[in-house]
Amino acid sequence: MIGRSTALDQRREAAAEWVVRLAAPDLSEAEALDFDAWLAASDENLAAYDAALAVWLEFGANAEAVRRGLESRRSRPRAGLRAFHAAVGAVAAAAAAAALILPALGPASRAQTYATRAGEHRTVRLADGSRIDLNAATRLTVALRRGGRDVTLAEGEAGFDVAHDPARPFVIAAGDRQVRVVGTQFDVRRRAGQLSVSVARGAVEVVPLPGAPGEAFRLHPGQRLEHAEGAAQARIAPIAPAEALSWRSGRLVYRGEPLAQVVADLNAQFPRPIRIADPALAAEPISGVLVLDDEAAVVRRLALLVSAQAVPSGGGVILQRNGTPKR
Amino acid sequence: MPKPPPDPRDSGSASPPADPLVALYLARRETLLRFFAARTGSWAQAEDLAQELYLKLSERPSGREAENPGAFIYRIALNLMLDRARGAARTAAREAAWRALNRTQLGGEEIAEQAPADEAAASRQRLRRLIEAVAELPPQMQRAFRLHKLEGLSHAETARAMGLSVKSVEKHVSAALRNLSARLAE
Repeated sequence: MIGRSTALDQRREAAAEWVVRLAAPDLSEAEALDFDAWLAASDENLAAYDAALAVWLEFGANAEAVRRGLESRRSRPRAGLRAFHAAVGAVAAAAAAAALILPALGPASRAQTYATRAGEHRTVRLADGSRIDLNAATRLTVALRRGGRDVTLAEGEAGFDVAHDPARPFVIAAGDRQVRVVGTQFDVRRRAGQLSVSVARGAVEVVPLPGAPGEAFRLHPGQRLEHAEGAAQARIAPIAPAEALSWRSGRLVYRGEPLAQVVADLNAQFPRPIRIADPALAAEPISGVLVLDDEAAVVRRLALLVSAQAVPSGGGVILQRNGTPKR
Repeated sequence: MPKPPPDPRDSGSASPPADPLVALYLARRETLLRFFAARTGSWAQAEDLAQELYLKLSERPSGREAENPGAFIYRIALNLMLDRARGAARTAAREAAWRALNRTQLGGEEIAEQAPADEAAASRQRLRRLIEAVAELPPQMQRAFRLHKLEGLSHAETARAMGLSVKSVEKHVSAALRNLSARLAE
């Protein structure tokens, strides 16, 4: 009896290894033939493979639901811890934007995850001397290895001051692009499927991840790359370098961006949601500097910029045109 | 319009295919589908690839015998997948996330992409079992499985996030799958 269960275990092990190995990009022709032979060798092999494959595909088809289930399951017993609230805020923000989210699954690995919630800024100093400033509602993972420094920006915006170390390239994965750093100061932003990279000093390369469409760009100081994830093209626009990183000093600088974007940025900074009453107002271009002190003051200044009024509503604020026709 | 590959079960009624490669393909079609399904993470894509492979083989000038027909078929299968294989490890997880995102952004504009019947959403009860099974995996195994299969990172991206080699990630993920398929078969 023990012998039989061991044989079953071995078949399950081989089946699982094949399912995973077949998905590897470097699968060789010889391995494919080995798989073919192994599968044909016995009906038991075939049955074990089909069982493993079915589970694999089932998880693939239900990945999103299982992921959410695991997240809510994990968070329950820890409620009450402050760190937990910060993490959940960031996870919720990240989940709203979907795509690539790295969960913190425990202290086991050398990869470290940092997150900020709405309104929170955080500065992280890495062991190599680099510095990362996290804007609000941001989540990223850092792995420092002997041969390289890897950051995955799951969601949000971060400014980077990278310590020069040619032996250890600094690479940031954000959505379907990679930002390769050549020793420099720059800003990467990923919100709601929109990626932008702004360079203040030095040079960075923005490269499509393997399989993603589009070409690589090398950015120099004063340039910003804008890219919608999933699209092939990217746009390069001039920027004032200091402005790209202005949020680090508690200011937001705009030159003709629509009000909708300004409000989206503010909603990442403040807990009380701001809404815009009509689409025409949302499209209104904004130019100016917003100092991020307290929310009421910021909203008041913003209202002055667009000649709108801020009306308290529920837990938040609604921006609407001055001189509403009905009075 | 390319014609679909004939079902091997029908081949008895027609004259047997002249090309030995096509004949071998037909005999191995079920195995190739299983191969493609693991490689792409979906039966639908596996069917597409099996179809492409059939076309490649049948359009090939006849008369030139491959030395090892089995190896030749897999070589074409792997080449065929080169474009897709780059994105394949991204799995259905990321695709599903993108679809969800697009739907939110575009509202009613999006043409609904329906999952094939065998990839339909699990029942609530089944889902609970899937979640429990993952939650009970040992930490490293669980982390590798979640990053790769649920978050849709490639083996290389998972390795980077965990600070491990790609080989170790493959080991952790296959150990997780072995564990899960044993548990879920109970």
